[in-house]
Amino acid sequence: MAECIECGADVSLHDDLETGEIVDCATCGAELEVIGTDPVELDTAPELEEDWGE
Amino acid sequence: MNIGILYSRIRKDEKLLLGELRDRGHEVTKIDVRRQQFGLSDPPAEFEGLDVVVDRCLATSRSLYTTKFAHAYGVPVVNGPETAQVCADKVQNSLALERAGVPTPTTKVAFTKDAALEIVEEFGYPCVLKPVIGSWGRLMAKLDSRSAAEAVLEHKEVLGHYEHKVFYVQEFVEKPGRDIRVVATDGEPVAAMVRSSDHWLTNAAQGAEVAPFELDDRARELVAKASDAVGGGLLGVDLMEVGVNGEAPRASDSRAAEPRDGGADDYTVHEVNHTVEFKALNDAVDVDVPAAVVDWLESTVGTEADATAGEVQP
Repeated sequence: MAECIECGADVSLHDDLETGEIVDCATCGAELEVIGTDPVELDTAPELEEDWGE
Repeated sequence: MNIGILYSRIRKDEKLLLGELRDRGHEVTKIDVRRQQFGLSDPPAEFEGLDVVVDRCLATSRSLYTTKFAHAYGVPVVNGPETAQVCADKVQNSLALERAGVPTPTTKVAFTKDAALEIVEEFGYPCVLKPVIGSWGRLMAKLDSRSAAEAVLEHKEVLGHYEHKVFYVQEFVEKPGRDIRVVATDGEPVAAMVRSSDHWLTNAAQGAEVAPFELDDRARELVAKASDAVGGGLLGVDLMEVGVNGEAPRASDSRAAEPRDGGADDYTVHEVNHTVEFKALNDAVDVDVPAAVVDWLESTVGTEADATAGEVQP
C-alpha cells in the first residue's frame, strides 16, 4: 500500500512493482508514477506528450 | 550480459522484457533518460560496462537522441539510430519502403494548405492526413469532404507545430475492417495478430480487438523486405490486406488467423515501428514474445547489434 499524493487514499500495489511504472489510484483516478520501490514513492505521472508512442 | 534499458515509463511491455532478462540471469541496468545528461564524448555513468542498450523510450524525441548518443559512445544499441530516424518519421518511413520495392499506400507530401488540398482533391474522398511524427493513431484525419479537408488543413497550418505544416496525405486503403501487426527481429516474424475495429483506425491503442494471425509466404516476404528497408532490428511491421471482397473475419472470429481469408489479393505495408509495443500481441498469441525477443538479443549482441542495425538500404 502507498498513499495517493492527489487524494490521500490508499493505493494498492503489485508485488513486482518497478520504478517508472504507472499505477492508478482507484479512489480519485489519478495516474501515479512509481519513483522508488524501497520504500515505495509515488509522484504525479507526466501528462501525455505528442511524441509518445511506438 | 549487462543490458541497459533506456526508458522514461515502464509499460507492461518493459515489465515483460525486464522479467525475461532477469529470469535468464542477465544484469539489467534501467536508465531513466529523464535523469541523464549526455556529453559529446563522455557517456553517463549508467552506460559503464553495458554490453548493449535497448531503446524503450516512450518519447520519440528522446529515442532519436539517446540512440545517437549510445552509438557515439560505441555502445551497441537496439534499435540503431538510423533505424529510429527512419521509423520515427512517416515521410522517411514511406520513402524507405518505396525504395525497397515494398508495396505501400500512395502518399504525397506538401508544405502549404493549398498544395495539400490539391493532393486531397486528386486522391478523392475519403483520404487520410497523418502527422509525420506520431503514434497510437493520434491526430490522424480521415477526410470525407472538401469542407472537412479545408478545416483540418487550416487548423494544422494555423495552430500546429511546424511539423504539422508538413502535410502527409495518403490514399484511403479499403482494408477489411482490420490490419495486421507483425513483431519481427531482423525481418524474421516472432508472431502476428490482426487488429479489428468498427472504426477506421485499428490501432490496439485505440481499443481494437486482437487475434492471432498466420502469415503466408507473401506477408513474410514483405516483412523481411520492410525490415531491411529501415535497417533491421526489433520492429513492428504493420500491413493491410488489399483487394478483399467484403469484410474479413474479425478478431473475435475463430477464422481470423487465416492468412488472406476473405479473398485479399496482396498486402500493403503502411508503417514500421522501431520501439514496438508487444503486450497486446503477447496476450493474443501462444508465442512467448518477450522470450523470443531476448533469444534474439542474446544471439545478436556482440555479433551484429550495432554493426548492422541502423544501416538503411541505400
